[in-house]
Amino acid sequence: MEEKHGTQIISGDIINLVIARLETIPPNVEMSVGNEGSFSIGELIERVKKQDDIGKKMIEMQLAYLRSLGKLPTQDLQNAPADN
Amino acid sequence: MLLLITRPRHDRATHYLFYWAGLLIDEAKKRGVRVIDLGRDKASRKKLHSYLDKQPIDIVILNGHGNQEAVAGQDNKIILSAGNGTNLLNGKVIFVRACDAGAVLGKEIMKNGARGFIGYLQPFMFLIDKDSLNKPLEDKLAAPILGCSNQVGLSLIKGRSVVEAQKDSWDKYTETIDKYSSSEAINSFLLPILLWNMTNQVCYQ
Repeated sequence: MEEKHGTQIISGDIINLVIARLETIPPNVEMSVGNEGSFSIGELIERVKKQDDIGKKMIEMQLAYLRSLGKLPTQDLQNAPADN
Repeated sequence: MLLLITRPRHDRATHYLFYWAGLLIDEAKKRGVRVIDLGRDKASRKKLHSYLDKQPIDIVILNGHGNQEAVAGQDNKIILSAGNGTNLLNGKVIFVRACDAGAVLGKEIMKNGARGFIGYLQPFMFLIDKDSLNKPLEDKLAAPILGCSNQVGLSLIKGRSVVEAQKDSWDKYTETIDKYSSSEAINSFLLPILLWNMTNQVCYQ
């Protein structure tokens, strides 16, 4: 499913991925987003669902991080110990 | 060396920045650097411009809210903006810890003859543990992020160039990101925020 916001379309999978990542932050934590204020994690998730300016920043930040993981040197992954 | 620092305190974000900027003041005084501390109501346009006009200030560190063209002081009143006060920064090094100011304001500051500028292209973000509101310096979630940005000020106070201060801060971000990336690390949810602030921290010389 895809959700439209203006001319930009953000896939529902991405929205769900960003929400899942925000849900890893403990509930007693707030995020200070500059002059926009401080937001609880629940409020940030609502903003992501609405895809307003704050929500889009959260999406942009999480996607930038996930993309950076793709730049990890392959060798690092090959040398990483197995979990089991 | 003479350092001017603004640190308004009127909401949660500025409450945290107030205390973290206080560490920079402590370090400066320890090193014999003279400090003009514009805290709370003193973080006003009038006082800032007056000191910049009359004192031989070397380093300016502005903490507070901002946008692409301006930085605010106490109660979000604009204290410096494109076309209003940037000429007073001629010959100085400036670190603006506020949202977005690297985009337009920083460039204008450089055009007006500043020696260097470090700031952010996007909103500066950090986490606040509500259980630590009364002790911002002991907040284990805010500390990794604010510590990395504080490194800019610490390096400038130590006499490092603006490029060196940016490198020192980036090195600290990298070290912190590595620490929270390890398999033993808890609080790995800090990683996107660390990366965001690091990649949006720009340096002009």
